[in-house]
Amino acid sequence: MERSVFETIRNIQDIPTLPSVAMEMMTLAKAPDVSIKDLSECIYKDPPLAAKVLRMANSTFYRRGPQEIDTLHRAILMMGLNEVINIITSVSVLTLLSPTDEKGESLREAFRSHCVATGLIARRIDKKIGMRTQGRDFVGGLLHDIGKIILDEYFHDRFVEACDLSIRKNCTVYEAEMEVLGTTHMEVGDFLARKWGLPPYLADVNLHHHHPGKAQFKDITSLISVADLLAKARDLSCGGHVPAFVLKDQEAWGNLKKLGYPMDSLDVERITFEIEDIGDEVKAYISTVADEPAGEAAHG
Amino acid sequence: MADYLASATPMMSDETFWLLRDFIYEHSGIYFADNKKSQLENRLGLRLRANNLPDFDKYYYMLKYDPQAGRELRALFDSVTTNETSFFRSPPQIQAFQEKVLPEIMQRHQEKAELCLRLWSAGCSTGDEPYTMGIVIKEVLGERLKDWDIKIFASDISEKALKSARTAMYNEYTLRSVPPEIKRKYFTQNGTQYTVNEEIRMLVDLQYLNFNDAKRVKLMKGFDVIFCRNVLIYFDDEAKKRFVAQLYDNLNPGGYLFIGHSESLHNISRAFKLVHFPGALGYKKE
Repeated sequence: MERSVFETIRNIQDIPTLPSVAMEMMTLAKAPDVSIKDLSECIYKDPPLAAKVLRMANSTFYRRGPQEIDTLHRAILMMGLNEVINIITSVSVLTLLSPTDEKGESLREAFRSHCVATGLIARRIDKKIGMRTQGRDFVGGLLHDIGKIILDEYFHDRFVEACDLSIRKNCTVYEAEMEVLGTTHMEVGDFLARKWGLPPYLADVNLHHHHPGKAQFKDITSLISVADLLAKARDLSCGGHVPAFVLKDQEAWGNLKKLGYPMDSLDVERITFEIEDIGDEVKAYISTVADEPAGEAAHG
Repeated sequence: MADYLASATPMMSDETFWLLRDFIYEHSGIYFADNKKSQLENRLGLRLRANNLPDFDKYYYMLKYDPQAGRELRALFDSVTTNETSFFRSPPQIQAFQEKVLPEIMQRHQEKAELCLRLWSAGCSTGDEPYTMGIVIKEVLGERLKDWDIKIFASDISEKALKSARTAMYNEYTLRSVPPEIKRKYFTQNGTQYTVNEEIRMLVDLQYLNFNDAKRVKLMKGFDVIFCRNVLIYFDDEAKKRFVAQLYDNLNPGGYLFIGHSESLHNISRAFKLVHFPGALGYKKE
């Protein structure tokens, strides 16, 4: 198959982008002398986004104390900058992932659930093995498959064909993508992550989550790889063949072990049972992010 | 009456649920996910009343610190395992058996030109499980079934359950998870009763077996798949380890063990490879 799909994607002018505020936040966060005031002012430039951040901050996912978090300043103080960036990224991505028309709705819906589930599972495993990724676990999970959005958006029929082919042939989705589209969601995702100026680990996660041994950021990419598989095992897949697998035989598992994480002491059965109802958590998360707020965020 | 009962049963706080859930998992290997809280509340509500305790916290402390708690533990396990069996119970496990495990094992046997399958429903109760296995095998093999030598051993310690299994007669409720076309194909309806057809019954060999009878259990050899669901809970830790090690020996290399849907072998055996199927776990002997 020719390389035309990838070339076409490279040349698409109106490719979706993360909102400018999300990009700006990521840049700001890297600055050594950034103040909470700078950050909250940056977010307030996008009022609907600011409102969603406050809604998330007060949702069961984040709220810690009895007191309502009513300003972004307070949200950043209470949750920390990384969590606020997580929220902004997840809100932005979930908006991007919303289906644009009916034909792709069910696939997009499954896809969105898969991404959120991978993020939530990665976060749980991170807590157990103590990787302390400071929120990269969740964002990495959420964004590991962005290449699929683009393939689905611009080459919907062929992408669906690839998913079907992987079921018929019992092969991986990326092998089927290569056959039908001549490129993979990993390659496209890597391209997109770079184009969007996302932190380098996210390009790595996109490109290598199926073969994390090749990753530069081996720890986070392996973590996402494990979470990705577990999400699929919980039926939160996003089209295509769902494989049976032995977690301990996975490249990702071996990497994490080599890196010194306590993989042998993990109770894999228990982790699997714990995420059995992750679907409910995914739904709750998506509706918290997606619901339109009653009014604009209060400026404060 | 119902109102009185509802108000008589105290609520279980999330914290107490987590404590009890961890306690039960540690002692039985059975896990109650967050969405099973009300189920646990209902089941343990009965134990609360039986022990005349005012709330679940007191119940937890009794289990944890009372030297006499051993007996209560038995009763607790009885109340958390439903003791109920049905056709196509835990569908994702049956699906894994049908779509992943059987094709893999059959292919291996075919390559060796040994068209022979041995399966064991260990703790088969009233026969729902072994007959389900038979139906699934027939669904996978179709007309090729006659080329294969297939035997599903089904054992239980209850003569009463075995007697019922031999009649192979079931009511609508036991068949609630059975797809209509499967019901039509493999059962003969007589009023409200359904009898499993002969082509499936002939695959199943029902036998009395006590798992404590180590000599006889050891003789059960050469299995490709063993279903032993919600049985281990009745053993203490040492007995569990011995029995599971025995099940490992009973399997052929490449064979699979399925235990209850939310049961774990984490602290019991490291001999198997834990396989993740969509929505289900299986244990493979390599």
